[in-house]
Amino acid sequence: MRNTADFPDATNQVRIIQELRRQKLLRFRLGVNTSYVVLMALLVLAFSGVEFTFFGIEFSTVSLDWDFIWERMPFIFGGVGLTILLSVLSIVLASVLALLGALGRLSKSPPAYALATFYISLIRGTPLLLQIYFFLLGLPQFGIVLTGLTAGVLALGLNYGAYMTEIMRAGIQSVGVGQREAALAIGMTQQQIMRRVVLPQAFRMVIPPIGNQFIAMLKDTSLIAITGFVWEILWRAQKVGRANFRNFEALLIAAVFYWIITILFSAVQSRLEAHMARGERTL
Amino acid sequence: MSAIVRIANLNKHFDQIHVLKDISFEVAPAEVICIIGRSGSGKSTLLRCVNFLEQPEFGTVEVDGVQVVAGGKGRDHQQQIHALRLKTGMVFQSFNLFAHMTALQNVIEGPVTVKGMPKKEAIELGMHNLEKVGLAAKRDQFPSRLSGGQQQRVAIARALAMEPKVMLFDEPTSALDPELIGEVLAVMQKLVEEGMTMLTVTHEMGFARKFAHRILYMHDGRFIEQGSPEQLFNNPEDERTRAFLSHLLT
Repeated sequence: MRNTADFPDATNQVRIIQELRRQKLLRFRLGVNTSYVVLMALLVLAFSGVEFTFFGIEFSTVSLDWDFIWERMPFIFGGVGLTILLSVLSIVLASVLALLGALGRLSKSPPAYALATFYISLIRGTPLLLQIYFFLLGLPQFGIVLTGLTAGVLALGLNYGAYMTEIMRAGIQSVGVGQREAALAIGMTQQQIMRRVVLPQAFRMVIPPIGNQFIAMLKDTSLIAITGFVWEILWRAQKVGRANFRNFEALLIAAVFYWIITILFSAVQSRLEAHMARGERTL
Repeated sequence: MSAIVRIANLNKHFDQIHVLKDISFEVAPAEVICIIGRSGSGKSTLLRCVNFLEQPEFGTVEVDGVQVVAGGKGRDHQQQIHALRLKTGMVFQSFNLFAHMTALQNVIEGPVTVKGMPKKEAIELGMHNLEKVGLAAKRDQFPSRLSGGQQQRVAIARALAMEPKVMLFDEPTSALDPELIGEVLAVMQKLVEEGMTMLTVTHEMGFARKFAHRILYMHDGRFIEQGSPEQLFNNPEDERTRAFLSHLLT
């Protein structure tokens, strides 16, 4: 058999085609990045307070109170840590519940299956905000007074746990039946198979989607602000916004913080996903 | 000599299909048996019933003194099945190595988790078995980095590490590229020479002819003919066996 080395022209052509492809990709990336800059510039312009005439039409942009922004930004920034803490604690609780829920949904025991199904149905059938109110406003009626953080983590964890149960179940079911059979054949019990063979492989599958849930949760922690007990980002923004009648600026600051946190964690997330994808091949 | 494996009146249905029809046979210690037959004849199901990966509805399986009667329920029955599985080692067509463990971890998983063997001792045993299949150098490789033939040899080492009395091979070379079949057969040959009792479902007629003490031809859930390789390959009595072999050899 002959290979391309026997045809110098062919080798050259392949190289040219590859080079063209690379250039095309570079042009696309350049275009995307330029567009980002333009979009960002437009956004900045919209809040610049500048007035200008364009083709005979007068434009006026939103004028912001920059003194207020610089003065109050540190106070609102003070909520970032709490927002992240809320998210982390809630995702941990949600993951544990999701694992139990998934095991229940896959269980042959009627009560376990029923309990898991009931839990998912109840949580998915009611609004998250109502669940938050339930812990903060409902429970005190019976003398159970939780701190804002505890109530927030319980509400968010329970809620996300129900949704994440399906992710966990899919992860467990993605482990091939051959893995279980091989484990049975060497005499492992169902419990040993779950702990040693199925779950370690399932976890690798579910880490990327759980990362997604975490990013979604970062923003849902803002619902806790409504309770007024947890000084996270949105609560702080509302407080300073109302006090100075600078709601717009305050909300803008909060929005920027949420956005930046999300971008940062999304970057971590895509790195993680790339890492897991590589692990798939090497592991 | 008393048999090490006794299968009696084994019956198995998949829905309406009667896959195993009252199968009975015995295997002597150190005997090598090859089960051949068309696909769908029930060979793999039979093998998987020996260690109860499939549950037969009726019949008994006895391996090295551990007897399990099909259709049982409860804790005792489960414990008997467990004891039966400890007497048997199984090798699958698709290897089924634990994907998240290295070759050595795969091999020591059974001894450590099932038998509670101290890790150090298990590693020694594991390395011994990896050496036996010629893959000691691959101890820290994950299955996805091994060729099919290497994966299957690790799978054999994993089964051997449990020190089974009987090895069950379920089409061990069917998923392999032709050039990789030889290395797996060489390991199996070594086991034959060591006197391992082996039950092999295979399409590898060369192996069957060379190493089997007895060949069972299975058709439609029954053994319709059995005998030594010479008998069965050279003078098949049943028309269906003849048809199968001529189809295979041409």
